[in-house]
Amino acid sequence: MKAEANLGALPRVIDSKPSGLGLFAGGLTALLIIMVGAPLLMVVLMSLRTGFPGEGGPLTLANFIAVYSSPGTYKVLLNTLLFALGSVLVTIAFAVPLVWLLMRTDLPLKGTIYVLMTVGILIPVFLRTIAWILLLSPRIGLVNQWAIQLFGLDHPLVSLYNIPGMAFIQGVSFVPSAFFMLAAAYGTMDPSLEEAAYTSGVSKFQTFLRINVPITWPAIAGVMVYLFMSAIAVFEVPAIIGFPARILVLSALIFTSTNPPTGLPDYGLAGAYGAVMLVAGLTLAYFYVRLVHHGRKYTVITGRGYRPRQISLGRWKWAALAFVALYLSMEVFIPFLVLLWASLLPHLQLPSAEALAQVSLDNYATIFDFVDALPFINTAILMLAVPTGTMVLSVLVSWIVVRTQISFRGSLDTVAFLPHAIPSILLAVGLGYLGLAYRNFFPVYGTIAIIAIAHMITWIAYGTRTTNAVMIQVHRELEEAGKVAGASTSRVLGRIVLPLVASGIFNSWIWISMLSYREVTMALALGTRKNLVISTIVWQFWGNGWVPQVSALGVLLVLFAMVVVGLLKIGFSRLGEFGSGH
Amino acid sequence: MKRLNRCPSFFLAAALIAAWSTVGAAAPIDDLVKGAKQEGTIEFYAPSTLTPQGAQAVGAAFNKKYGLNIKLQYSPSGNMTRDIGKVVGLGATGVPPEWDLMVVTDAHHATLWVKKMHQQFDYKSIGADAKAVQYDNGSVSFANQFVLPAYNKKIVSAKDAPKSWDDLLNPKWKGKMGVSSATHHMARLAAGPWGEEKTTNFVKALTKQELILGRLGEIYNRLLLGEIEVAVSVSDSELKTEKNKNAPVVFAEGVTPLIAPAYHAGVPKNAAHPKVAHLMAVFLTTPEAQKIWEKYAGQSSAFIPGTSAYKYVQNKQVVYMSQDQAEMIDRLSREYGKIFGFSGL
Repeated sequence: MKAEANLGALPRVIDSKPSGLGLFAGGLTALLIIMVGAPLLMVVLMSLRTGFPGEGGPLTLANFIAVYSSPGTYKVLLNTLLFALGSVLVTIAFAVPLVWLLMRTDLPLKGTIYVLMTVGILIPVFLRTIAWILLLSPRIGLVNQWAIQLFGLDHPLVSLYNIPGMAFIQGVSFVPSAFFMLAAAYGTMDPSLEEAAYTSGVSKFQTFLRINVPITWPAIAGVMVYLFMSAIAVFEVPAIIGFPARILVLSALIFTSTNPPTGLPDYGLAGAYGAVMLVAGLTLAYFYVRLVHHGRKYTVITGRGYRPRQISLGRWKWAALAFVALYLSMEVFIPFLVLLWASLLPHLQLPSAEALAQVSLDNYATIFDFVDALPFINTAILMLAVPTGTMVLSVLVSWIVVRTQISFRGSLDTVAFLPHAIPSILLAVGLGYLGLAYRNFFPVYGTIAIIAIAHMITWIAYGTRTTNAVMIQVHRELEEAGKVAGASTSRVLGRIVLPLVASGIFNSWIWISMLSYREVTMALALGTRKNLVISTIVWQFWGNGWVPQVSALGVLLVLFAMVVVGLLKIGFSRLGEFGSGH
Repeated sequence: MKRLNRCPSFFLAAALIAAWSTVGAAAPIDDLVKGAKQEGTIEFYAPSTLTPQGAQAVGAAFNKKYGLNIKLQYSPSGNMTRDIGKVVGLGATGVPPEWDLMVVTDAHHATLWVKKMHQQFDYKSIGADAKAVQYDNGSVSFANQFVLPAYNKKIVSAKDAPKSWDDLLNPKWKGKMGVSSATHHMARLAAGPWGEEKTTNFVKALTKQELILGRLGEIYNRLLLGEIEVAVSVSDSELKTEKNKNAPVVFAEGVTPLIAPAYHAGVPKNAAHPKVAHLMAVFLTTPEAQKIWEKYAGQSSAFIPGTSAYKYVQNKQVVYMSQDQAEMIDRLSREYGKIFGFSGL
């Protein structure tokens, strides 16, 4: 998405000056090219080498031959495709109605729902997946047990150990992201067609299907492509649900190639698997850019301060609330209850009178024997450093792209968007290889810094989309006044532009902070003893069989998150709708 | 190990020597204690079943014995094979290992030995019994696990439980059985009583049972929950940790042979704090360490008369591993991992 396309009509604000601004813009572009390009180069390099990082050796196509001559690879590719498609469909099926209800209607309890959706993001996907196992496992799932008892079935009603099951769980976990991405489009949608439909007596549901969905289709399609790219890179659900049942997807293969359950790491294979992922990512990014550009033809953003009328749900209010409750049950309530239940028991077991007799708070009392302060400190570092670094870079990039006439600003914007096309697992593996093979030049392997760098690279695309959008909205008169008054370029940026875009930046800062908190794929791929974070601790506990302990930790984290999110929501409500940074 | 079997009292001897060494002030151990004091810390990789409390108890007893104040950082193992692979991978690139001392099974130390990744040390010089020292001065053996098929007794009655390894091939377990990534369990049978051909055929036949895959802890959790009814092989580490909490997972007793991996403590090459690590490796053979280990991790040596492990193995056919089987077990562990589906190709 090149912001310059929007800027053709804008008058020149700040001239390109090779001596100062041009050099700065060039330096920034070079920095981004290195940040994004180096891990990619490593992926290519490792795909062409055998052995361990740093061992050198001749370049070879042996990894590609091994990977792409195996029929299993094509099965994995098909699995990946189906899993990603299914996840996206599930997400959209929940996210679009939810965003319409919350952004366009008079649905009650909106504030509470926002907070709960944000809290949902903070429940680690691993823990939610464990909850789903307890519900939908063909053998022990409560839903299946009840169905068998109620209907006298001789086989389980549903199973999650298949691609649809995996896609369902992953899709539900994507809903908050999709919701916040679509919220802006629905919040600023021109209501005239919608109102015309109601005036003509068309029902609300028909209006939703025939007006709201089509008019926001470019935004929905853009989100679908974004989610598809995320789905091919995610690791948690494929690891817990897919891997035990031998349903392999690309992300799991890349992870297990570098962190094998048996045998030794094979970075070459990971690179060869990653190559196809990279091609898919770049292709999807191309379509994403096209969709976003295409979406501009549908630009329906109204003037400043305009608030479209909210639709009265009338008697449908309760049905709508039931739908939201169903979603929140799947996303927040049920996982939380399962966590709470597991946290009170000495070992994981299904509800029963016998289990009830064993309930105690012992796991809460001993949780900090199992986890020391380091993962909390590292997580706090990520939650502060990653959004701060990302937003600083994003503001600088957007300022050059949106507010200057630097000749290569379009290229800078493209480079900033490129990480969107790189699956996170691949980025992490590439960075890890870089850190191992060239540790003298890049001495961060095994530190929290390498995870922070991976996160920053990943979310710079999101950060710059946000800052581009908010900077475009800021009128140029104040900047021009500042320049006329003799203020330097940096002073204009710091004293005029930044305060005006602070709200949007803050929202994005919070969002990236939360994403960094819960991210596990890159943290695991780059994880060592020294850079453990909470999300990797959760994975480690599950592998160690410490489910009651990790459940207790999860409950405490969710409660903590609820308090923090609630306070942020109240305290910063004047800075704009919390979490709606998109 | 078979060699260890020939001298069942070596731990007692080691304990006596270690005890004497603290009183008699033998030079090598004094130097080591002095060096350990300077290093001040140890990154201690050990089974997750030891638990953090157990690890801290080991650390406290270690400090007390040698008059030290070493900070022990415990890393619970989630997957020994993966972490050993990581150490080998890091070692090949010249990056120091994350851990100073690794307590993993003899099969995992075999990988380090094959890759020449042990930091060798004359453990005998500081009191370790010669027969406990393995892999060319690379590790010290101090306890035994036991491995058998296991089942959830809430779902499977003792009458229906597997009575032999071959019972696991019964179609009634299809889709109801799990296998862990600890594929060295099977490789030990291949290197020992069964031979490679029989074991490989057995492993291939198992895959037709639609096995659920996972790490040991995961498989144990699924067994606890009843998601699977039987696990191909589970170590007593898992069972003993949960035993006091009335978990319904039990060994399929009577299945023979009984697999007995040994826990070895070894220092990977280029470890940051080798002196503390070498001292700790020998400390783990002392009576006080053995007592703590058994209390928390559940294991003791099968070669010390009177220990619970010693009693357990009486009149059983037991498969121990020896150093000359290391390469074969290392190779077959990887091969069986592929057959089970733990790796992509």
